[in-house]
Amino acid sequence: MNDDEHSHSNRMEATVRELLTEMKDASEAIVDLAYASLMYNSRDMADKVHEMDDDIDNMKFEIRTKVIMAGRSKEDARDMTGVLQVASAADRISEAAGEIVKLLDVPKEERPFINEIINESDEKIMMIRISRRSDMAGNTIDQLAVEASTGTKIIAMKNRYGWIYNPDGDVKIRAGDDLIVNGSQDGFNRLKKFASGDCPWEFPEAESEEE
Amino acid sequence: MDKLDSMLLKLKDTSEFMVDLAYSSLLYNNRDIAEEVINLEVQMDKLGDEIQKTLLEMAKENPESVTKAFVVLRLQIAIEDIANAAASIADVVLRGYADSPVIQMSIKESEWTIERATVSDDSVLRDKTLGEMRLWSHCGMFVMAIKRGAQYIFRPDRWTTLREGDVLIAIGPEESADHFMALSDGSKKEF
Repeated sequence: MNDDEHSHSNRMEATVRELLTEMKDASEAIVDLAYASLMYNSRDMADKVHEMDDDIDNMKFEIRTKVIMAGRSKEDARDMTGVLQVASAADRISEAAGEIVKLLDVPKEERPFINEIINESDEKIMMIRISRRSDMAGNTIDQLAVEASTGTKIIAMKNRYGWIYNPDGDVKIRAGDDLIVNGSQDGFNRLKKFASGDCPWEFPEAESEEE
Repeated sequence: MDKLDSMLLKLKDTSEFMVDLAYSSLLYNNRDIAEEVINLEVQMDKLGDEIQKTLLEMAKENPESVTKAFVVLRLQIAIEDIANAAASIADVVLRGYADSPVIQMSIKESEWTIERATVSDDSVLRDKTLGEMRLWSHCGMFVMAIKRGAQYIFRPDRWTTLREGDVLIAIGPEESADHFMALSDGSKKEF
């Protein structure tokens, strides 16, 4: 393989790696979001689920194309077989999430047990709105260290630009944003106090905790 | 919560845990963990059958419950799909396809590992709660789940008591793993 080809194949690997990482993260968040859409009876969230499902589908095709173009040896083919299998599994998960949100078509009164089940789950989810009185507003997720401070993880949020899932640490939280978090009941209760402004946020000390 | 709801809850919890475990088995290229995913898949299949039978009986006895039966069925199918997808990820590991650099370099939390350890009869962990032991702060390992006989306890909390024979599934930095294993098998007594 000459240098040119080598760098081409590295670039391909990097792209495939990025796509696969993205697909993994999205496939994890989309299921939570699907359950949240049933719980809060939200078409809006269901639309986001469908949009993510489409994105994941597109990524699956993109990975396939890249992988087929890049195969040069039996070894490459072997490596990429696993990648393709994982990509299609992530896609299947997102399709299942798409099926879950279709249950929104059943009137809410006919499916009260779903909320009960979600509330009893090991992995609980909750939506919370940031009040104008909350001093969380105006800070980034990293500045707040939301997960370390409350034990809850933001899986998706809606701000003035629309829905984002797995928001990056540098995303700023503003008054009026809706956060969908997962975590324990204790964590929700803590977060609720901060988000409503009833309690001042306890900003983490500038200690060098693990990232 | 009636029996059907509890079964559905278990199905949901199991599927989510399978996805967690499946991606972990892939990132850490760990066959033990992949095997756990496959074990869970077998449990899921049984539970799915039981749910479907219950639904049919319910709809037969009480025609008004057809809507509920429909919703549960749709949900059960979607959840089983998720579980199957998780199993197909674990399959990549079991067939030895997970050592590809592309997979290994995807978001693997650097230098982290996932371990399966059994609590021995002379382990310091035996008959203690997770809260008492504070394995996370003392030894750096986070217990994701406990396998007790054929049952799994997903996301155990600080009140969960560890028993002899419990299999702990834990993640943490590589340098913590040996210490954690030694505490479990009883060869080390101090944190």
